[in-house]
Amino acid sequence: MSNETPPKSALREFLGNLVSAPGRIYRAAFRTGTPTTDRTRSNFIFQNVFLHLHAVRTHRWSLRWSTTMGLGIAALAAFLITLVTGILLMCYYKPSPEDAYNSIKDIHFIVPTGRFIRNIHRWAANIMVITVILHMARVFFTAAYRKPREFNWLIGMGLLVTTLGLSFTGYLLPWDQLAYWAITIGANIAQSPREVTDALNITASFDPGGMQRQLLLGSDVVGEEALIRFNLLHVMVLPLLLSALLAVHFWRIRKDGGLTRPEDADKLLGPPPADTYPVFTEAPQKTYHLAAIVRGRTPAVNQAPENTIPSMPHLFYAELGVFMLTVLVCVGLAMFLNAPLKELANPSVPENPAKAPWYFLGLQELVSFSAFMGGTGIPAIVLIGLGLIPFLDREQRGTGEWFGGPGGWPLVKQAIAVGSAATLLVETIAIRFGWLREWFPHIPQLVITFVNPGTIIASIYAVYSIWLVKRYNSARAGALGLFTCFLCGFLILTAIGTYFRGPNWDFYWSPAQWPKH
Amino acid sequence: MNKNKHLLLWSSLGTLALLAGAAVQENIFREWRQTQKALATESGPLDVHLRQVVAPKMQAADRCVSCHVGMAAGEQGISGGPLAAPHKPVGHDPAEFGCTVCHAGQGRATDKADAHGDVPFWPDPMIPARYAYAGCGTCHAYVGIPTESQLTGGQAIFERYDCLACHRLDGRGGTLRPGGAGGMEGPDLSAAGLAGYDRRWYEKHLKKREESSDGPWRISFGKIEEPDRTALETFLATRTGAAKLVEAKALFHTLGCQGCHKISGVGGDEGPDMSRVGLKDPGQLNFAHVPGKPTLANWLSAHTREPGKIVPDSKMPVFGLNDAEIDLLTYYMLSLRRGDVSESLWPKDRLRVERFKEREFAADGATLYATLCSGCHGPNGEGRRFPETYPFPAIANPDFLAAATDQFIQDTIKMGRPGRRMPAWGENEGGLRDEEIARIVGHLRRIGGVPEPKRPIAERRWVKADAAAGGKLYAAYCAGCHGAKGEGLEAPALNNKSLLAAADDAYLVETIGRGRRGTTMQSFGEASTVHPALSPAEIESLVAYLRSWEEKKP
Repeated sequence: MSNETPPKSALREFLGNLVSAPGRIYRAAFRTGTPTTDRTRSNFIFQNVFLHLHAVRTHRWSLRWSTTMGLGIAALAAFLITLVTGILLMCYYKPSPEDAYNSIKDIHFIVPTGRFIRNIHRWAANIMVITVILHMARVFFTAAYRKPREFNWLIGMGLLVTTLGLSFTGYLLPWDQLAYWAITIGANIAQSPREVTDALNITASFDPGGMQRQLLLGSDVVGEEALIRFNLLHVMVLPLLLSALLAVHFWRIRKDGGLTRPEDADKLLGPPPADTYPVFTEAPQKTYHLAAIVRGRTPAVNQAPENTIPSMPHLFYAELGVFMLTVLVCVGLAMFLNAPLKELANPSVPENPAKAPWYFLGLQELVSFSAFMGGTGIPAIVLIGLGLIPFLDREQRGTGEWFGGPGGWPLVKQAIAVGSAATLLVETIAIRFGWLREWFPHIPQLVITFVNPGTIIASIYAVYSIWLVKRYNSARAGALGLFTCFLCGFLILTAIGTYFRGPNWDFYWSPAQWPKH
Repeated sequence: MNKNKHLLLWSSLGTLALLAGAAVQENIFREWRQTQKALATESGPLDVHLRQVVAPKMQAADRCVSCHVGMAAGEQGISGGPLAAPHKPVGHDPAEFGCTVCHAGQGRATDKADAHGDVPFWPDPMIPARYAYAGCGTCHAYVGIPTESQLTGGQAIFERYDCLACHRLDGRGGTLRPGGAGGMEGPDLSAAGLAGYDRRWYEKHLKKREESSDGPWRISFGKIEEPDRTALETFLATRTGAAKLVEAKALFHTLGCQGCHKISGVGGDEGPDMSRVGLKDPGQLNFAHVPGKPTLANWLSAHTREPGKIVPDSKMPVFGLNDAEIDLLTYYMLSLRRGDVSESLWPKDRLRVERFKEREFAADGATLYATLCSGCHGPNGEGRRFPETYPFPAIANPDFLAAATDQFIQDTIKMGRPGRRMPAWGENEGGLRDEEIARIVGHLRRIGGVPEPKRPIAERRWVKADAAAGGKLYAAYCAGCHGAKGEGLEAPALNNKSLLAAADDAYLVETIGRGRRGTTMQSFGEASTVHPALSPAEIESLVAYLRSWEEKKP
C-alpha cells in the first residue's frame, strides 16, 4: 500500500498537456528537430515527403549553373504559379459562352488585382511552354537522355505534350475573338487527316480527322460543348495528369542517380573550395543502407570518392533562387504587359488572319501548304523521332557535356546553318513563287500532300542527318544534327507564322502593310 | 553557393516590391478612386467605393457611375466638378436602364479609355455627345417620319397658328406673360408623338375659345383649316423628344438613300444594307483618308462626302451635300443600331415596325417617292445624272406620263430593269407592297400634273409592221443613244426583257412620236435638224423591230 504512487491529478496532467501541446504538435510534424547540423539536415530531408525527392547530398557538378541553367525548376515554378493564380481565377471565371467573356472583363476591371493575377497566369503559362522546350533542348544537347534515363526522356515528352495541351485548352476560355478563332484553327488542324481520306475518297466511311475534331469540340463548331470540355481539361484533367507525370519525372531523376555528369566530372571540378559551408560537423550516423534493397546501380556504389555537398542548403538555395527568379519574371511582365482580350467571340465575323497560339504557328505555317502533313504527318514524325532518340543513340561519348559526342559544337554550328538555310530557302521559294497548286492547277492533292515545303524541309534535314551519321560514324552525331535542324525549323516557321503572315495567310513584312477592309 | 543565395535574396525582394506596387496601384491609384476622392458630399468627403448600375433586364452592369458619381442612383448633393453633375431628366431612368444601352461604350470597364470604348477591340465605343440621341436607335424605330419638306412645313404651320403662345416645343415657346400671369397654359408637346394626345383636341380647343372671353384663348387661338390640321398632326406625331434625330431621319428619307441601301428589308441593293450601320466596328474600318479622330462618326461623314476616297471602287456617287446635311445624315446612320434587346422590352414603335409590318417612315406617296426614288430620279422626277453613270430617266416628265399607263409604271417599279441599276421593288426584292407602289405612281401623276392616258385601242399588242424596215430606221436614228442592239448607252436600254414585257405598243408608239421634252429624246413625229419626221407607219415598224428583241414565248 505504501508503495502506491499517489494518484495523479488527471486535471493537472490535462493542463500540462495543453500547455505543451504546441511544442508537441511542432515536434510531431518535424520529428528530426531543428536542422542545424549536417546530420539533422540530412534527416530533415529524409523524413520529409516533399524534400526527400532530393538526395541528401548533391554532386557539385549538378549545382553548376551551366549544367541545367535551372530550366527544369523554372518550368516547375511556372507550373506552380499557374496553379495558384489559376485557382484564384477559377473563383470568378464562369465557363459558359454567355458569361465567360463578361467574367474575364470583370476579372480585368473590378476583381481586386484580378487583372494582375490574370496577367501573371498568362505570362507563367508562356514561360512554362518556353522553359519546357528549352529544358528538353538542354537534356538533348547534354546527352542526358542516355541509359539509364531513357524512360525519363519519354516522361519528359509526355510533359511537353501535356504542357502544350494545358496552354491550348486555356486559350479558349476567355471566349473572345482571339480565343474563338485560334481554337477553330486548332480544331481544323486536328481534322487534317481528312486531306488524305478526301484524296482517297474514303472520308464517308473512314474519317479519323472528323472524329478527332468532334472529340475535341464535342460538336461541329466551337461552341458551348467545346468550352465546357476545354475548361474541364484545363482546370482538372490536364493539371492532374501533369502532376502525376511530374512526380514520376522527379522520382526517376532520383532513381537514375541524379543529374547526368561526365565521367571525368570530379577531375574537371577539382577539390571543393575551402570555404564551402557547411562541411561535415559530425560523422554520418547512417550509411545508405536503403541502397542495399534497391536493384541495380545506386549513386554511391562503385563510385569514385564522392564530390558531393549537402543538398540542404546548397541545392535548396539554387532551387529556390531559380524559383523566385521565375516568379519575379512573371510578376514583372504581368505588371506592365496585359494579357490580350479582344472582342467577344463572334462566329459570324472570322478573324483574318486567324492564328493558332504561337507555339502552333510553325505547324499552321506547314498546314497552309498541306493540312495533313502540317497537322498530323510532321508532328507525328517529330514525336516518334524524339521518342526514339535514347534508343537509337546507345553511345557513351560526351554524356553530360554540352553538345557532347562526335562532332560537338562545330557540328551543331554547321547544323544551325544548314537547318536555317534549308528552311529559309524552301519558305522563300514557296512565298515568292507559290507551290505546285499555283504551277499545275490540276495536280492531284495527294501529290501536294507528299511534296510540299514541310516534307521537303524535313527530307533535307533527314538526308543531312544521315550524311552526318556516315561522316562521324555515330548515331549521336546524326541526332545532334537532326535535333538542331528541327529546332531551327521550329523557330523560323514559328517566327514566320507569328510576324510575317497576314490576312489570307499572305506574306507581309510587317502588320502595318496589312490591307484593311 | 553565395551566388545562389544572392539570387534568392534579390529575386525575392524584387517580387515583394512588385507585389507591393501592385497593391498600391490597386488600392490607391485606380482612376476611379482618384476621381471619387476629388468629390465631396454635403456631409463631408465622398465614400470611395466602386459604384455600378445593374440593370438585369438589359443585361447591363454599368460602372460608368464610378466616375460619373452624380448620375449614380441615390447620390445627391455631390459637388466637385463636372463628374458630380446628375443626369439630365430623360424618359428612361438611368438607374433602371443602365448607361450603355443608350450611350454605348464598355459598361464593365472602370478605366476611362476602356469605358468610353476608345481602345482597340471594343467594337461599340460611346456615341459622341453631339449625336447622343442616335442611341435611341438601339430600341426605337420612330414610325411615321415624313420627308423634310413635310416636317418643316408642319413646324411652320405650328408656329404660324401661334401654338407656341401656350405650348412648349423642343425647348421653345410657352413663355411667361408679362407680370407673371399665365403662360405655359398648354402642355409641353416635345414628346407628343410618344405620349400621344387627345384626338379631339381641335374640338376641345374650339369649345374653350368659345367659353373664354379674353386671354390667349381669344388672342392666340383661332380656326385651323382641315389640311393644316392634318399637317399639324403629322408634325406632332414626329415629336418624340429627339428632335434632332427626327430631323436627321427626315433628311435621310428626302435624299433617297434607300434607293440603293436596304434598311429593314426596304430599299435597293446597289449599296450595302444599312440596317445596323451604326454598330459598325471602327476597328474594322480603314481610316487612312479620314480626317480627324478614327471614330465611326468621322468615317461615316467622310464617306458620305466622298465615297470613292474612303472606299476604293465605291459605286456611290458624290451628292455634293453641305456640311450640315452630312452631319445630319451621320446622325441618322449612327442611330441605325437595332441592338439585341429582348423582344419583351421593345417599345411600341419598334413592335409596330418589326411585328406589325408598319413602315419606319410615313408611307404616303410623297415620302415613299422621296425615300426610295428621288436619289436617282431627282426630287421632282426630273431625272438625274451622276459622273460615270448613264442618265436616270425623268419619270415625272409630262410626255412620259401621257404615254404610260399606271399599270405600266407599277409593273416597271415592281420588276425593275434586270441588269440595269433600277432594282425590282416587289415585296420580296425591294420590300414594297402593291398599294405602296400605287401610291408612288399617284405621287408621280401629282407632281407631273398629267392624268392616266386613255387607250383608244383595248389590245396591248396591235402593231403589225415590217421589223426589217424598222431595223434600218433604228440603226439610223436610235442606235446612237440606245446602242446598236438596244443595250442602252446614253439613253435607256430598249432590249430589256422587263421593259418589253411591261410596255404596250401604244406606249412605245407614243413615246417615239412625242419624244420627251426636256430630255435628249426628241419627238420623232416632227422633223428636226438631224432627222426627218417619221410617219406613223415608220414608227410602228420601229416598234415591230423593238419587239423582235423580246423573248419568244414558247
